[in-house]
Parts: sequence; C-alpha cells; structure tokens
Amino acid sequence: MPLILAVDDSPSMRKMVSFTLTGAGYQVVEAVDGQDAYEKAQGQHFDLVLTDQNMPRLDGLGLTRKLRDHPQFKTTPILMLTTESSDLMKQAGRAAGATGWLVKPFDPARLLDVIKKVVR
Amino acid sequence: MAETHQDSGGGDFDLTQFYQIFFEEAGENLDLMETMLLNLNLETADDEELNGIFRCAHSVKGGAATFGFADVAELTHQMESLLDRLRRHELQPNSAMVDVLLESADASRSLLARHQAGGEGVALPTSDLVRRISELAAGGGGAAAVAKPVAKTAASVQTARVPLKEGVRSLEIRIGPLEHPEQADAIRELFRDIPGLGEIVVMPSDRKDLRIFDVKTVSSNADLLDLFAFHVSRDFIAIKEIEEAEVVVGPGTQAVSSNFADDPQPGAPLAAFPGFGFFDGSPGAPVTAVSAVGAGVDAKVAAKAAPKAGAAGPAAQPEAATIRVAISKVDQLINLVGELVITQAMLAQNSRALDPALYQQLLTGLADLDRNTRDLQESVMSIRMIPMSIVFSRFPRMLRDLASKLGKKVDFVTQGEATELDKGLVEKITDPLTHLVRNSCDHGVEMPAERLAAGKSETGTITLSASHQGGSIVIEVRDDGRGMSREKILSKARERGIDVSDQMSDADVWQLIFAPGFSTAAVVTDVSGRGVGMDVVKRNIAALNGTVEIDSAEGYGMKVSVRLPLTLAIMDGMSVGAGDEVYILPLSSVVESFQVKADAVSTVGQGAQLIKVRDEYMPVIELEKVFQIPRGNSQKSSDIMVVVEADGSRVALLVDELLGQQQVVVKNLESNYRKVPNVSGATILGDGKVALILDTGALVRRSRH
Repeated sequence: MPLILAVDDSPSMRKMVSFTLTGAGYQVVEAVDGQDAYEKAQGQHFDLVLTDQNMPRLDGLGLTRKLRDHPQFKTTPILMLTTESSDLMKQAGRAAGATGWLVKPFDPARLLDVIKKVVR
Repeated sequence: MAETHQDSGGGDFDLTQFYQIFFEEAGENLDLMETMLLNLNLETADDEELNGIFRCAHSVKGGAATFGFADVAELTHQMESLLDRLRRHELQPNSAMVDVLLESADASRSLLARHQAGGEGVALPTSDLVRRISELAAGGGGAAAVAKPVAKTAASVQTARVPLKEGVRSLEIRIGPLEHPEQADAIRELFRDIPGLGEIVVMPSDRKDLRIFDVKTVSSNADLLDLFAFHVSRDFIAIKEIEEAEVVVGPGTQAVSSNFADDPQPGAPLAAFPGFGFFDGSPGAPVTAVSAVGAGVDAKVAAKAAPKAGAAGPAAQPEAATIRVAISKVDQLINLVGELVITQAMLAQNSRALDPALYQQLLTGLADLDRNTRDLQESVMSIRMIPMSIVFSRFPRMLRDLASKLGKKVDFVTQGEATELDKGLVEKITDPLTHLVRNSCDHGVEMPAERLAAGKSETGTITLSASHQGGSIVIEVRDDGRGMSREKILSKARERGIDVSDQMSDADVWQLIFAPGFSTAAVVTDVSGRGVGMDVVKRNIAALNGTVEIDSAEGYGMKVSVRLPLTLAIMDGMSVGAGDEVYILPLSSVVESFQVKADAVSTVGQGAQLIKVRDEYMPVIELEKVFQIPRGNSQKSSDIMVVVEADGSRVALLVDELLGQQQVVVKNLESNYRKVPNVSGATILGDGKVALILDTGALVRRSRH
C-alpha cells in the first residue's frame, strides 16, 4: 500500500486530503508543517510527499529542499499544493526540486488523478 | 465555445463532513489575525509578523475555496492580496489597512457564521470592503495601480474594435454550461468591485446555461481565471481574445506546453491552466509530463473505486496535545461525577455507624473511595476551566475602536491571562467586564489635552488583571484617569433623593453608583453614561455569587474589583434546619449567626419584625413562614439567627439549628422542576435527601417590600 506524507498546517485541508487518500487505498502520514514533516520523514520511506507551501516554521519549498538533500528522497515525488500559481512560484518549486504542483482549491478527484500519475 | 468537461470530482466525496473543523479553524485563524493586527507596530512591522498575518488570511481563503464558501474565499482573497504586498514590502502598512483588515475579518466571521447556520438569511454585503481593500492594495503604485480602468461607456460593444489603449486586451469570455448560470453573474460584480480590473459587458447568448461576456482588461488570462475560479470552476471558463487566436481552457481541451516551468511568454496566449503540472525531468515526474494534462477523465474511476471509510495513517496525529469535545459531553461528565460525589458522601455517612474493628477493610476502601472521588471531581472540574485570556482577548480591539471614536489615547495592559475560570462563569462575566472597561475608557481616561494639563502622560492606561485569591478569582479593571468625585456623587445622590451624609466613608460613597439609574457622567455618549449599567453590572455579578468593590482617588484613577467563585457547579454552603427541612445558605453570603432571646425581636407595622444587631436594625425573615414548614407541637421554636448579606443589605434569617458547613454540588432546579421563589437551586445531601439552596438575594429583596 503506497505511503504518502501529507503536509498542511490547516487541519481541515489535512483531514480532507487524508480522507481522500485513505479512501483511495493509500496510507497517509500527516504532518502539521514542514518541520514536522521533515522529522517524520527521517528513516521512513514515502512513495509521495504532498505539501502545502505556506506554513509556519518550515514552508513547502524549504521542506522540498531539505528532503532532496537526503539520498533517500532523491527520487521521491514531491507535489506542492499551493494557492500561489504564479510563474515565480513555479520556478521556485522547480529550483527546490519539486516534482510538480497542484493549485488549491482542488477537488478530491483531481487530487487523486494527479497522484495516480506519480505513484505507481 | 470551448468544450467543457463535466468535472469528475466532488460527486463521490462529501465535503460537508469537514465543514465543522474548517469553521473552527477559520475562526481561530481570524482571531489570531486580529490579535496580530492589533499588536502590529506599523513602523517596525517585521517579516515574521506580516507573514503570520498573511498566513491566517491565506489559510482561511484556501479552506473557504476548497469547501465552496465563495463569498468568504473572495473576501479573504482580497485580504491576502493586500497582505501579500505588505509582506513583500511593496507597500508600507498603515492604520487604514489595519482598519479594513479588521473589518474584513469581522465580515468573514459573519459570513462563516451564516454558512455554519446553514446559509439562511441574507449574507453580509462585502463589495464595499472588497473595493476598499483593492484600492489600498493598489495604492502603493504597484502593477495593479498602473492599470487604468477603461473608460466606462455604454457603447463599449461597438467600440470593441477601436484600437485599444496600450496593454488593454479585448476578450470574449464564455462561461458554461452551468446548472445555475446566475453563478456567472458574480463575475460581473468582480469588475464592479475591483478598480482597474477593466470593463465587462453582457453579450447575448443563445443558450440558457451559457453566459457570454465582452471584457476589456489589462490583466492576464491567468489572473482572470484565478479570480473567476472563486465563483465558477475553471473548467467552465473559456477565454477568447477577440481578433486573436482562440484560447481554450479546461483539461483535455488543449495540448498544453509540456513544461510548466517555462510558462508562456508575456503577450502569448496564456491561461491554459489545468490547475496542476509537473516539472520536466524532476524526480518522480511522469515520463511524459504532457500526459499529466487532459487525463481528468479516469479520476472518476479512482474515486468510485475508493472505499468510503479509510483507516487513518499509521502515525500519531500531531495535534493530539488537545482534543475538541462537545461541551455537552463535559457537562454530562461533571454531572455524573456530581452524582458519584453524592453517592460517596452517602456511603461515608452510613459507614460511620459501623464498628471499625469489624469492618476495617470496608472502611479503608471507603476512605480510598473518598480520596479518589475528590481527585476525580477536581480533575473533571478543571476540564471546564478556561483561561481568562479568552475574555481578555476581546478587549484590545474594542478599546482600539472606542478610543479612536472618542479621540483618546489608551494603552491596554492585561495581567494574569492564564488564570482559569469555569467556562460558564467566563461567559457570564464577559458582559459586565465589557461594561467596566468601556466605562474606564469613556469616563475614566481623559482627553489627551486634559491629561497633559493635569501633568499626566498623554496616553491613559487601562489594566485588566485576574488572579486567584483563596477559593475565588479576583478580576480588576484599573485606569489612571480622572477617578470619581466624591462631591459629585453625593450631590447627585441628594438630587435623586438618596439619603446621604458628608460623613459617609469613601467606600460607601462609591457604592452609591450601583443604585439603579445613577450616573454622574456630564455627557451621555453613545458608549456609556446613560445611567443604566453599574446596577446591572452589580446584579449580574451578584447572580454569580460574586461581589464588586470600588476604589477611586479623584484625579488619579479608579479600580473596580470583581470577586467571583471559581465555579458555579460546586458551592461552599452552610446547612441550617427548620422543622424537618434542611436548607443550604451560600457561605459567601453568611455574615454571622447567634442565638436570640424572644424579646430581642421587635415587631413593627404590618407584622414585620426587626432585630437590632450591634446598633443596626435589620429585618427578620422566618424560614418557617417563608416556606410554610409544618411543625409538630413537640418541636422547639426557632431561636437561631443567621445574618446574611446580599445586594448590600443584611437580613436575619430565623432558623431552628445550624447543621454544619459543607461543599455542595449545585443542581439546577429550574431545568429539573420549575422556578421556585427564594430558591436558587438544590443539592443532594449525604443521606440522600434533597435540600434547597436559598437565594439570599431574593430573600433580601423580599424584605424590602
């Protein structure tokens, strides 16, 4: 069962993402911000990291950078969930090593659709 | 018209299950935002603060958009845009911005409350707020400000082919097919509400479910889509540049550039915007990134196949440090523990007759039960305890608005916010405290010029503090304003026909302001000073078994101290007997008790009785008569007086005997039976009998008539 790390500081978004993913047969570990996610990622294999961008302590870009520094996360797909869809944001995401992005608001089916493309 | 895909999402997911958690979270975010805005120093605002405020708006917007609360999403989107410019230091924060953001936070709360209540009633109009925010956001001379609104002429349809000003594009925007085409009308309002966005004209449409607009704007298609998406799913929006190539939007309708990192050049048709994308060659990206687009169809299969319920992830939830529990559950728990305490007391009482030598084990067990019950009771009661900061936090905002309305300068200081108080009391104390704080600001603190003339600093200080003192909580409202004038109060009292003398102690003089309708305010403002207030404050606090004390020095300020019991659910009581009945008096109101000789009581007109206690005459109330207690001939007559004080007056209650002091669990009589005069509640005694708790305030008032 693929294991997904879902990172969002908003409890309702986290619950929705987590509910959607577990409903589709994924296992989910939730994290409340980048720092929490980074700590939870230690020594754990994830098939996908889904992260919000704007979070306290450590944001999505920061998390992506830190994860990519670990050999273990060199090839893990990292998707950024963000309301910021500007070019700058996308370039920053690409530079940080993100795999792709999904703009909020999204509906659950769209989320699953995108995830299916990177988690096999 | 671009082909539109029926969005595959949503249908199988019930988003309503997340509403409650979103409402709570949004409320917290708005509260936090308000606090941060109020603490924001406009000159020295740092990135951390601005980012924090931005994040609050951002979170609310994200959730509102996701869960379909378009009005909240739109408003918070505007707030976010302004905050975004602030945190990027493109604009300097000013108080007008703080004002409009605070108002918008209020408006968002109101909109959310409406959604929470099921969307009934009329939504608060926000177009004015939206306009003000966007004006402020544009005010810094950023890109949005440069965009000049296109001249508004009714003939714009005809002039569409006329060469447009530089940068202004003419677009045909088709929206639909929509089940509720009126959704699209909200887009017209956007153009009205957002200065500089451009001009929109409704074009005739041959289909009912399709709206066509002619738009002139300098905004990019991506920006327009971002904006429109708050009202209508992107998949239903098609933007066509008039006189240029058609640009269509929506998954599956367009082969989008395979590399989103290299987005279209400025000027090129933008806007092909599927809402997601992958970076070519990035780790974990699909082999052909282009396949990411246009596949929205099979999502339905995935969604359908998904089992409804799913086990939570293996990891512990990080927010496990606190849980949200319905208050009714807590109350039920407290009630049950109350029953347990009573049962335990009953067992303890019955066991006293047992021989300790024979029942040693049983008695040890009962002693343990006693201790455990007490600990349990204490723990359970603490669940209902919430910090005073919940109440205090509403004042900075209120004072800020009030002070600016009155033209005063006020600093607000809080102390002891962490002091905990029963939730029920917190709710009831909020209004009286609000009144006291308003009073301090309105009547206490002087105008800046007056303060300077009096040799004080221009800015007044209002201090709100809470602390535990014994079994009570003491809340103080202090200000360093003009204080109260003894002479003014005395003359006002004489005017009102209240019997006063110049020899009265200060404390007694200050108590006069609690008389109904008493106000010395020279000017009746719309804030306070109408003379309804202090008496209500006092009555409300007395109803909570609390007391109010005032201390004041003319020219230096005033202090109002409110003393309250920690909880309403447990009370220290004195049990007294009359006939075969047992009554409980709140210990806080008992002054003294003594045995009387029959001749000490004098009877005055209409059979009313008085007793002289240390040079003070007070009315005598015979419990036997009040409650019509049947009495056998053999029983002795009452000869014990218990002096109780309430509302500043004292009465002597005539009872048969004093039975003792004990903590009692207060049970509401009204909800279990009905309101009984002179009784505030009931409790169950150790022997299982019910005893009524006397309402001393009502007894005192009764004696006045």
